[in-house]
Amino acid sequence: MTTSARRSKRTEALEQRPVNLDGFVEEWPEVGMVAMESPYDPEPGVRVEDGVIVELDGRPRAEFDFLDQFIADHALDIEATERAMAIPAVDIAHLLVDPRATRQDVLAVSRGLTPAKLLEVVKTMNVVEMMMALQKMRARRTPANQAHATSARDNPVQVAADAAEASLRGFRELETTLGVVRYAPLVAIALQVGSQAGTPGVLTQCALEEATELELGMRGITAYAETISVYGTEPVFCDGDDTPWSKAFLASAYASRGIKMRFTSGTGSEVQMGNAEGRSMLYLEIRCILVTKGAGVQGLQNGSISCIGVPGAVPGGIRAVLAENLIASMVDLECASGNDQSFSHSDLRRAARLLPQLLPGTDFVCSGYSSTPNYDNMFAGSNVDAEDFDDWNTIQRDLQVDGGLRHVPEAELLAVRNRAARALQGVFAHLGLPPITDKEVEEVTYAHGSKDLPLRDVLEDLKAAQSVMDRGVTGLDIVKGLEASGFGDMAHNLLAILRHRVSGDLLHTSAILTPELETLSAVNDSNDYAGPGSGYRPSGARWEEMKRLRHVVSAQNPEREVG
Amino acid sequence: MHRATSVQRERAYVRGVTTPSQADLDPGRDYPLATRRPELLKTPTGKGIDELTMEAVLAGEVAPEDLRIAPETLRLQAGIAERAGRPQLAQNFRRAAELTALPDELVLSIYNALRPRASTRQQLTAIADELERDYEATLCAQLVREAADVYERRHILAS
Amino acid sequence: MADTGTGTRRILRLDERGTAGPGGRTDEVVLGLSPAFGDFFTKTIVDIPHAEVLRELLAGIEEQGVHARVIRFRGGSDLAVIAHAAAKLSGSGIGVGVLSRGTTMIHQKDLVRLSNLELFPQAPLMDLDAFRKIGRNAARYAKGESPEPVPARNDFMARPRWQAKAALLHIKETEFVVPGADPVELDVRFQLADAG
Repeated sequence: MTTSARRSKRTEALEQRPVNLDGFVEEWPEVGMVAMESPYDPEPGVRVEDGVIVELDGRPRAEFDFLDQFIADHALDIEATERAMAIPAVDIAHLLVDPRATRQDVLAVSRGLTPAKLLEVVKTMNVVEMMMALQKMRARRTPANQAHATSARDNPVQVAADAAEASLRGFRELETTLGVVRYAPLVAIALQVGSQAGTPGVLTQCALEEATELELGMRGITAYAETISVYGTEPVFCDGDDTPWSKAFLASAYASRGIKMRFTSGTGSEVQMGNAEGRSMLYLEIRCILVTKGAGVQGLQNGSISCIGVPGAVPGGIRAVLAENLIASMVDLECASGNDQSFSHSDLRRAARLLPQLLPGTDFVCSGYSSTPNYDNMFAGSNVDAEDFDDWNTIQRDLQVDGGLRHVPEAELLAVRNRAARALQGVFAHLGLPPITDKEVEEVTYAHGSKDLPLRDVLEDLKAAQSVMDRGVTGLDIVKGLEASGFGDMAHNLLAILRHRVSGDLLHTSAILTPELETLSAVNDSNDYAGPGSGYRPSGARWEEMKRLRHVVSAQNPEREVG
Repeated sequence: MHRATSVQRERAYVRGVTTPSQADLDPGRDYPLATRRPELLKTPTGKGIDELTMEAVLAGEVAPEDLRIAPETLRLQAGIAERAGRPQLAQNFRRAAELTALPDELVLSIYNALRPRASTRQQLTAIADELERDYEATLCAQLVREAADVYERRHILAS
Repeated sequence: MADTGTGTRRILRLDERGTAGPGGRTDEVVLGLSPAFGDFFTKTIVDIPHAEVLRELLAGIEEQGVHARVIRFRGGSDLAVIAHAAAKLSGSGIGVGVLSRGTTMIHQKDLVRLSNLELFPQAPLMDLDAFRKIGRNAARYAKGESPEPVPARNDFMARPRWQAKAALLHIKETEFVVPGADPVELDVRFQLADAG
């Protein structure tokens, strides 16, 4: 055909657009390759006999899989369920969107809703309605943000400097992980030390296999935990080597040491692992959300997370991702709402995927923003990275929406990066770990990523990492090391964070520490959104801070810039 | 959790009786405990939270065990969670209160035993018995027994 | 994309030799293949032929003077399960698991299943050189050495491009799982075919 020989110039231009590097696939509902509109999801329903749920979403108790049973016995409020289930889904959706209905009004109903019913509710909502609802249902009044601080070479010096910068830029939680798992103790120490060089009160975690993550937490080398994965089908849960009961026990184990934790789940993980049992991604994710609720965990990281390429490839997938954040919030869980994984080659698409969480605000808009360039991001990249800081700050300023970050002048950033690296140098020396040279400190102060840094002796570092575990080094040893090397204020901050374990205040829903080292959670900062003029709105000093960007022309003297 | 009536609570408050087991805390008034009710907070080793100072750390008077939460504190926080409308969170805190008595290695080993196909029914029952007998951890024992039943029905016990 | 550079194509023949048992020799590495590797599937997610993948893994092991044994894991398609099962059958305690799409893991029998010695989670980044180095490192672990880990490659744009296709490949692979089936020992033979 002549049309195939000669190609449209416009088609050629469009073919070059980054969005066409993204992968898209057809829906295949029979295997669960469908976001939230599947003919194979069950019909909502519940039956209670003698105070026990005997039927859930059309399945009799004798046939419950372990998720059904856990949800029926631990997540649903048996007193409330039959009454709540009798309310039409669209009426519940109205309750969610109507600002005159309070968050508490919604919780009185949502505590009795089954997975299929929750799905039916969000299926009646478009994304704007979901954002309205999320604005009200977010547990903590004040939104916050979380960053990743990782290194392609697992370089602890880099992690310390990036942690310091991230904390100064406004992140309240920092997460790291490893290329080589055995590096974990050194990198977790680096994160803990570096995070306290910027703004005080930042909480840190290291994503690892469950038992190891708990061990680092118990030692006080990390402050909280998040990578406690739950899955929406029994076979995939078992592939993850866990059950709702093992995970519930793990939740209590963390609380027993005064350590904050949240679970992790997300749409697409079951179909990704090949066992979706023919259910939609969102239906399975709702089961995860209710397992989390039933386990008595305060919160959940969801929003597809590491599987974002799966819902991202099917129709309506990003609507489903917003719906899962909304459902976590509407059953009263802290929600760290994704936006934490590389999502698209297209900048337009990256921003469009971000706005549904950024605009309404969530407990953590990103559950990790990459504080490094994405090539150093060991979670395989985030939706936003260190090169997007100025864009993010500008979007906050344009829309007067608080995404938790601020512009910081270069001199201040260099100062905290340098200080973090020197503090880590001191702590490593104090603990007898491989030395950090002055050259490394100097380079990391000015570095963008691991490519700008001298290589470390990996084998020596790995030996030292093992010795940290063998010798039983704890958070208290890091405090002593900071104090001994002349970083008394950082030692003080870290001790304050460790001391918070004794109070248990951080165990409550959506808890963070303020820069003044006080707990802010859904208990003492509960979301009071009630329509226009109410709820959290950036104002006062915070809004003034948000107005500052790298380049803003002075009104006083237009020949100069401010900030 | 002992739930005093409001009258009893009022009296206890007036008389200044604030031993943790009796205190019925008001989330709006008493939370966060670290700033609002620090006098209620003791480490499992019996130290007050205000004693955990940098001076004490440097003098070697603070051990890692001092930076742990006490079971009484977890039960206070369970009361707050309950009153904030979060019964599951409260129940988690009560299970956690029981686990404070267990050494780290035992906590980890029970977690590993609860993984799918990791334990026989007898092994899980033995763990539940141990929890109850040696640690008075009745809620945790109940959770383990419940797991044993479900695992049996769903064929995920160790063969 | 892989270029074998030989101008010829290798054909992989995998013959089953019954249930795989624990190995007696301490100088061996067990390679655990996923249910459809070199069978329904013939190439990785970026079209590297399975024959070449296996050849590089085996060459990496053998150049260290270590013996290699290949098994097919039929009871599941989870990489950690496959790699750990291979490690448990290995006389040295070191096993390598590899999925049809190319995702690979080095495991050790005494580690918990979800831990590992080295993990290469991004199948689209796996090239022949990486497979050779993985074989080499596995052999060195088997000899009791502590090799420097194979540098983890990281392409943060692999997910948006490949993840959904990977999911479809995994679903297909999972269709070949025989629940509860024992792993089987494989005879591996490479035949040269004219590339035409």
